[in-house]
Amino acid sequence: MDRHFRTRLEARFAAQLTGPVRQRHDETEIRIGAGDVVSVLTALHDEPDLHFQFLSDLAGVDTGEVMQVVYHLWSETTPDWLRVTADGLSRDDPRVPSVTFLWKGAEWMEREAYDMFGITFEGNRDLRRIYMPPDYQSHPLRKDFLLADDAARSPGGGVRPMERTQTPRNAPTTAIVRRTSA
Amino acid sequence: MPINPARQSTDDPRVTLDRALGVFEPVPPYPPRTEREAEFYTLGDGEMFINVGPQHPSTHGVLRVVLKLDGEKVVDLDPVLGYLHRGVEKLCENADYHQAICYTDPLEYVSSLFNEWAPVLAFEKLMDVGVPRRAEYIRVLSSELNRIASHALFLGWMALDLGGLTPILWSFIERDEIVDMLAALTGQRMLFNYFRIGGVNGDLNHEFMSRLGDWMTKATKQVDSGTALLNENEIFVRRMRGLGTIDTPTALRMVMSGPNLRATGVPFDVRRAHPYSVFPELEFDIPTRTEGDCLARYLLRMDEIRQSLRIIDQCLHNMPDGPVMARLPRLLRPRPGRAYAAVEGPRGQYSTYVISDGTDQPFRMRIHDPSFIHLQAVGLMMPGHLIADTMAIMASFDPIMGGIDK
Repeated sequence: MDRHFRTRLEARFAAQLTGPVRQRHDETEIRIGAGDVVSVLTALHDEPDLHFQFLSDLAGVDTGEVMQVVYHLWSETTPDWLRVTADGLSRDDPRVPSVTFLWKGAEWMEREAYDMFGITFEGNRDLRRIYMPPDYQSHPLRKDFLLADDAARSPGGGVRPMERTQTPRNAPTTAIVRRTSA
Repeated sequence: MPINPARQSTDDPRVTLDRALGVFEPVPPYPPRTEREAEFYTLGDGEMFINVGPQHPSTHGVLRVVLKLDGEKVVDLDPVLGYLHRGVEKLCENADYHQAICYTDPLEYVSSLFNEWAPVLAFEKLMDVGVPRRAEYIRVLSSELNRIASHALFLGWMALDLGGLTPILWSFIERDEIVDMLAALTGQRMLFNYFRIGGVNGDLNHEFMSRLGDWMTKATKQVDSGTALLNENEIFVRRMRGLGTIDTPTALRMVMSGPNLRATGVPFDVRRAHPYSVFPELEFDIPTRTEGDCLARYLLRMDEIRQSLRIIDQCLHNMPDGPVMARLPRLLRPRPGRAYAAVEGPRGQYSTYVISDGTDQPFRMRIHDPSFIHLQAVGLMMPGHLIADTMAIMASFDPIMGGIDK
């Protein structure tokens, strides 16, 4: 845990942070709004005392209440992984600026997040589905997409424990069964 | 004549599938949806499309690639993924923490131990579980063996994609020895399911140790003779040199990692950049090359095999005594929280990001796979190369479709 890094982040991004800087094990997490993604990530990438040149991962998250886009960054200036969470995207129309202007390789990861969560990355010039077929209807990793869709309504539905844990009896198939504030 | 009657899509009104799915024509039967798609599917003067795959021996799995050609020169390419998509992330959300590990095995099926290691590491961080030192050493030992097996297979496949049949037969001899060894240790040849939260699923046994001892005495010689077959082959070297060159800034912009990044001169290796397990105690070098072409990527992997042998040697000499599993309850319910862990695999950085909501199943499990990242860089270096070079360049990145399609 890099305590010094935490104070640096708090000083540099005081205006953009929407919550406290969290640290655990070898991870430092900051939360920002979707509108600040471009300015914060550009600063992290370009400023020589931060110098986060390496985008380790880009993930979409559906917490059941909001959508998030999570960036994991690596830099030689700190021994921690930096996790930047773009928080509070609406579940109905999640939108976030693309980071392909910094890392072109994020293009496919953003396509994946679009495919799996329906998150629109503004500025990504190739935002098509990447895994699912082009005429597919839903976004499979969203929390209102139950495996029940194709399994529990079949005659054997609810027999296998895996399906039963996800599908309360008599629940409408659009219900969100899991939420978290973690 | 269409094979199936017309079918209207319900998702995108611009998408109409009036042909049977499974019959592949290069141009999709609907108008372009994005800027890039419109640009790619517009033909210039004298250009044509050709469809490669999804069943093609050179694509290392089930991958479809649309090539845009000018004569025999490739102008651009558009990979079409998803033929192997199994939804591993969704499956993991519906399995408990122990079960989730075995879903990650078949991702990059030639280096399964690394697929297991990243989630196991993330789960251990999430639950604050300590791992016995002997288990850490066994993990390093077995995974470095797996790295050698994976690189040996790379050598064979790459030569095969260039039209040489002999190296793959040689490298399969090498790989089979390692795989049989790991089978003696883990009980399985490919999908090991060996790492557990808090340790490994079994101590070193006599058969594994005797096989490993035999193999270690001749391993360096075998590796040298295998690589001499290609290193001193003028046809191979002249074909690979200067092919598919990528420079350092582009490689960083494409977020590449592993041998493909190190071949451009960046000494980024997660084992040193962000150490995990017992790697800080072990001595090994990070080989780098500066050319960034197919030959550099090939030679770099051969150097890595030698470094892996060094690590295995140190593991065998320093192997501590003790238990191989931490004492844990059978049902694991971590507190709500988030954890991220990355390991250095044979193809680059495997990482897992896991969110717990306090139940016995992960709330969200994100799996990051290096092959997925590297495949999109292939399109960048294609312009000007020949059709046959497509497969050579793709092979030099060592992609595994099981990992790309998750």
